[in-house]
Amino acid sequence: MKVTLISIPVRDQEKALKFYTEKLGFLKKKDVPLEGGNRWLTLVSAEWQDGPELLLEPAPNHFEPCKVFQDALMEAGFPYTQFDVDNVDAQYERLTKIGVEFSMKPTEMGTVKVAVLNDTCGNNIQLVEEL
Amino acid sequence: MTYYEKELSRIRSIIYSNVGQINTVIGIRNYIDNNYDVNLNLDLLSHIHFVSKYHMLRLFKKYYGLTPRQYLIDKRIKKSKEHLINGLSVTETCFAVGFESVGSFSTLFKTKTGQSPTEFLKEQLSRSKIYSEF
Repeated sequence: MKVTLISIPVRDQEKALKFYTEKLGFLKKKDVPLEGGNRWLTLVSAEWQDGPELLLEPAPNHFEPCKVFQDALMEAGFPYTQFDVDNVDAQYERLTKIGVEFSMKPTEMGTVKVAVLNDTCGNNIQLVEEL
Repeated sequence: MTYYEKELSRIRSIIYSNVGQINTVIGIRNYIDNNYDVNLNLDLLSHIHFVSKYHMLRLFKKYYGLTPRQYLIDKRIKKSKEHLINGLSVTETCFAVGFESVGSFSTLFKTKTGQSPTEFLKEQLSRSKIYSEF
């Protein structure tokens, strides 16, 4: 068995695609039309294109408990998932300049430094730098 | 401040309160990052940080969740992939990342990545060929 995919729930796939590619810098990998206007939409890291894919899944629109869970995480500030970066401070600077909102500024946590941003599609996303 | 941030702060005060230990393990990690390509000397490292070798190994594992040796191996495998992609041969790569035997390097590479360095290299070459053809 291999881990090749992680999924994040999004309210609007097209909006998520724009945010994750234009702001965060991911690349679109797969875009398969499914029923009802839904898509199998995956992204990869620009600097690790054969790495795991990130699935932007429209689950909150179709399965109420997913929406409830996502809302609860958002309200408490919990990240849905996290991405590794080389330098959290540099990413914080870069992203705030292009309008990305952070609920937590770069903060040291023992051997890592973390910050939390809003992906505008219902999730908090944590950026992590290993110190 | 979000509930998450409050929780982080509470947890930090419990498990990351020993700044001296944290600085020590971060120092060790940086040392490995900068010296993965040579024969690493953990005795020397423990002297620099004024801690015993075994205490240092325990601390590293406590904070990073893996031993310095495991961390070093992962680092070397990651770097060896970069070298192979950039055109070094398997033997050159093996020595460039600090391994002393091509045989043990190949075996370890295969265990960690699922492919031998030669297979990895072939795949990279065929990939770049495909890109140039299409």
